[in-house]
Amino acid sequence: MKDLLRLKTSLNEEIENILNAQIKVEAHSSSVYLAMSSWCDDQGYDFSSDFFTKQSEEERKHMMKLFNYVNDRGGKAISPEIVNVPTDFESFRSVFEQMLEQEMYVTQQFNHIAEKCIKLKDFVTFQFIQWFLEEQIEEEYVARRILEMFDVIGEEGTGRWEIDKHIPKVSYEG
Amino acid sequence: MVCPLANFEEVYRTDHGAVYQCSRQNCYWLEFAGDTTAFRVSDFFSFKKKIDAIDVSAMIIDPSRTADFTILMPFRTPRCFVLDINDVLNLRELLNGAKFMIELNSVINACLKTTPSRVAKL
Ligand SMILES: [Fe+2]
Ligand SMILES: [Fe+2]
Repeated sequence: MKDLLRLKTSLNEEIENILNAQIKVEAHSSSVYLAMSSWCDDQGYDFSSDFFTKQSEEERKHMMKLFNYVNDRGGKAISPEIVNVPTDFESFRSVFEQMLEQEMYVTQQFNHIAEKCIKLKDFVTFQFIQWFLEEQIEEEYVARRILEMFDVIGEEGTGRWEIDKHIPKVSYEG
Repeated sequence: MVCPLANFEEVYRTDHGAVYQCSRQNCYWLEFAGDTTAFRVSDFFSFKKKIDAIDVSAMIIDPSRTADFTILMPFRTPRCFVLDINDVLNLRELLNGAKFMIELNSVINACLKTTPSRVAKL
């Protein structure tokens, strides 16, 4: 019998579902970072606010990269519903702790996806997600480096002001 | 009503209906409750997802008369499905079987495409 399914899509259903789940995770990250940007702005941390706006845009790009891949391979990308976006955060430091947790969670998800790709012998998708796995090294590094500044500079006196000022300078050279 | 140029193969059949593949028009035909409906490949699978998503236990628990039926009007079909709980379960059984056979066919096709060259090398 003619294989109509493979004429339509090269994506295994499980892979399509897991990628759609990741689209949602990236979209959620984007929204959370936007919320953090707003909170930082409100609290007077201007550089951090800009930092999170940029992070939010990055996450949206990640989302679109996955979104386009699913559609390009014949699958159906789903525009995700975003819920549970916080509006308030405990402290300046906790914002970055949450950022690190979020990035570690994302890394974990991509590890799961890689595992599934190997299990189902989908080496095309496996190859595609390498870019994301590499990206996660930078994301986690930046979050950790910023958290270390809280210890190195200290939060007392003008500490937070100093930390905020240094946020844009944190980068990963690879 | 079935397309006149159809090149039909039965995908799966139960006591309550059947799914056919038309390899000329690249579509699936669903025969259910005395009518046949054509679906494009992706529409067929999203229809299955909708049927799977029906909350049958809510239909059972809800005492109101409207809860006895679920109405589904899939886009790009002329069909309106009015389903009671039995219909939903029967349709699920049929679509599950059809999906399994469609996927099995993919696997078989993939094997047939790769094995001859492997055998030749051995
Ligand atoms: Fe991301
Ligand atoms: Fe990220």
